[in-house]
Amino acid sequence: MKTAQGRTDDAVALEPLMMRAQSGDGAAYHALLTEVAVRMRRLVRRRAPWLSAEDTEDLVQDILLSLHQARGTWDPARPFLPWMVAIARARLADNARRYARRAAIDLAAADLAETFFDGAANITEATVVNMMTVRKAMGDLTPAERQAVELLRLREMSLAEAAAVSGSTVAALKVAIHRAMRKMRGTLWKE
Amino acid sequence: MTDPMHTHRGTDALIARLSRQARPPRPLAHPVRRALGWAVIALGFAVAMVWAIGPRADLVERLGDARFLFEQGAALATGLAAAAAALALTIPGASPLWRLAPVVPGALWLGTLSLGCLRDWWAMGADGLRLTPDPACFFYIALIGSLPGLVLYLMLRRGVPLAPRLTLALAALAAAGLGNFGLRFFHAQDAALMVLVWQVGSVALIAALAGLAGRGLLRWSDPRPA
Repeated sequence: MKTAQGRTDDAVALEPLMMRAQSGDGAAYHALLTEVAVRMRRLVRRRAPWLSAEDTEDLVQDILLSLHQARGTWDPARPFLPWMVAIARARLADNARRYARRAAIDLAAADLAETFFDGAANITEATVVNMMTVRKAMGDLTPAERQAVELLRLREMSLAEAAAVSGSTVAALKVAIHRAMRKMRGTLWKE
Repeated sequence: MTDPMHTHRGTDALIARLSRQARPPRPLAHPVRRALGWAVIALGFAVAMVWAIGPRADLVERLGDARFLFEQGAALATGLAAAAAALALTIPGASPLWRLAPVVPGALWLGTLSLGCLRDWWAMGADGLRLTPDPACFFYIALIGSLPGLVLYLMLRRGVPLAPRLTLALAALAAAGLGNFGLRFFHAQDAALMVLVWQVGSVALIAALAGLAGRGLLRWSDPRPA
């Protein structure tokens, strides 16, 4: 089995499943879709926590349906993960339009590389551009707003943890994150 | 409050349904190979149209003219590169550099026509740059590009719409580029400025209009379970 540098054990496991799925193995396809659903659900919940459970599942189902539609385009000679990430990115972007939550979903799209990849060599140019855009958007924030984004969104702390670390209050952090996301959304819409 | 297990059940049902449809998909060939296959159809249609309309009287003479051949070669290369790029854009994970594929042949096409304008001006003065209405170009390019455009559209639908606007604009550039290639075998118009404005302009207009329709024409098929 061909392996690529920097891929995780989990990631390696998806390629044989997809190969078997492409040859008509329903059980392998079931296992693959279940694994993708778990990862996507986790990702969407983390990056777009305001979405309802139904909206989250809608997004996950969109990605699964899109994977199904696209499965003939995967070439077993090429790695599975960049292929999957490209589909998920496209669907997240489409849904960002639908929910008018583009900024935060774009953050989720940028984070896909972290979810699926652990090697710098696997980060696509598009992801780099996305991350640069996010960084640029963060440049417009006040120090307090930037700290709120870093603690609550990037380091994924709870409000109480972030308040303890920053020496701020939960209420002040709520205001800061709200203002930060609004500003970043405005910046990312312009991009 | 929605029960998360309940919402998961919808996804689990979808996974079960999709995994029952795990028939082996028909694999897609490399975009270049597919573009060459498409070009055979497109050129066959162009030949049929030239034969039906009637080739230009000076065709044999033109086939010995290096400038004509170079312009036609650049138009053909632009169309082929645009077709390969459009097909590649429907493959998840394909290099984003594909979208630049038509840039070099397209620049050669525009460059050689621009040089032609200068040569015409040098040889004939202002008469060499006279611009007269020739709207038939648009009609003929659209006509010769119609079937290749439809075929390419159907081929694109075997992939997925990752960048629908750009994909359809490139596909239309390919079809119209081939349309323009065919046009010049029966339309006796070689003044560089006329070709640049009316023919290349028509190709660009068709590509732009197709790009605007991209989101509507290339969509994800999301059949939800009943």
